Amino acid sequence: MMSRSVSPSPFLRVPCRGLLVMVLCLPGSTSPVGGQDSPLAGRLDPVTQEAVLATVDSARARGLPAEPLVAKALEGAAKGAPADRIVSAVRALAADLGSARAALGASVDAADVVAGAGVLRAGASPALLHDLRSARGPLGVGVPLAVLTSLMGRGVPVDTAAAVVLDLARRGAPDAHYAGLERRVLQDIGAGVPPGAAVAARAPAGAPVPPVAPSAGLARPAPPAGSQGPVRRP
Amino acid sequence: MSDEQFDDLIERVAAELREPVALRPDFDARVMARVQQARPRGMGRVLQWLVAPRQVAISPLTGLAAACALILGFWFALAQGRSSRMVAPAAVERVADERLAAEVEVVRFVLVAPGANAVALVGDFNGWDTGSTPLRPVGATDVWSVEVPLVRGAHEYAFVIDGREWRADPAAPRAGSNDFGPPNSVVIVGARAS
Repeated sequence: MMSRSVSPSPFLRVPCRGLLVMVLCLPGSTSPVGGQDSPLAGRLDPVTQEAVLATVDSARARGLPAEPLVAKALEGAAKGAPADRIVSAVRALAADLGSARAALGASVDAADVVAGAGVLRAGASPALLHDLRSARGPLGVGVPLAVLTSLMGRGVPVDTAAAVVLDLARRGAPDAHYAGLERRVLQDIGAGVPPGAAVAARAPAGAPVPPVAPSAGLARPAPPAGSQGPVRRP
Repeated sequence: MSDEQFDDLIERVAAELREPVALRPDFDARVMARVQQARPRGMGRVLQWLVAPRQVAISPLTGLAAACALILGFWFALAQGRSSRMVAPAAVERVADERLAAEVEVVRFVLVAPGANAVALVGDFNGWDTGSTPLRPVGATDVWSVEVPLVRGAHEYAFVIDGREWRADPAAPRAGSNDFGPPNSVVIVGARAS
């Protein structure tokens, strides 16, 4: 084998230049991180998407959960709603999330803020959320908000549901009492009792339940046999 | 000076140079002692070895192989760095998954839909995508069912029958908002005492 003598310096110097170029050209060594596609891409037209994302960014900057806003826009797209309606619905939800956050305080988590916004959209006032938060203290508002949502979603008048749940909170009732109230009210509604009357009848003694007409509440037709609603697997 | 005189001078100088030089008996010992004194010891010896210039004889093929080995070494180091960077998020994800597992419940959705050919579940948990969560018929009945893991919180949902008919869950509470026409139902995960 023919050999040649080289000094170490040039040997190292020249390959180093080449190495630097090769290292910079290695796949992925200079590519930026991230770049996930927006879930709105392909579901909304670019103008609507931009308007929705502006609301989402603004909400995120205020510390509000962004996922419900994106989901609201996707719901509108799935239901074929016009663009302006989608944008206004997303903005309205952002406002409700902000109101819920302000009423519940900064210490509650995103799930409670979303549940609080749902209660507001059902017709409750921010004052109810604030009072509920104050009355519950460290017990948290997750269970009362869930029961409120359930009762109002089954046609119980907002004032009636709010009065009973807030009364439980002010009494320092544990979570099980809310769940018991909900269970009994749902049984009564299932038996044909109007929702408002069912809550009034099941409210704790002395609860400041507003007077309700015997038929108060939006009674819904009984679900078909076999329906059971969402069931959580133990 | 004539040529004869010059030759004579040359001969006498050469004769003088041919005479052996008389050295003292301890000459060798003194030279070796000086050499030992001048030789660096310990780290100085190592440092001298390191900085002493030398020539390396390699073939072009050997040089190419060395360059390739160097490049592979860099590449391997980069790959190791990347994989170690990927380990950290994986660990974070695992922790997040464990935390998430405590806040996730599997919820069974059921709809009685006589005459339906296909039923889909749509909601905020699947981007209201009519193709992502189909329900399956339960036996030969009109009952359709699907189980979905949901994170803690309130979720709005609906059923879509045969790809066109939106229907709220008749056995679940209605959502408070109705922004786009067909009503939604709501399911609340996690916040229950019973």
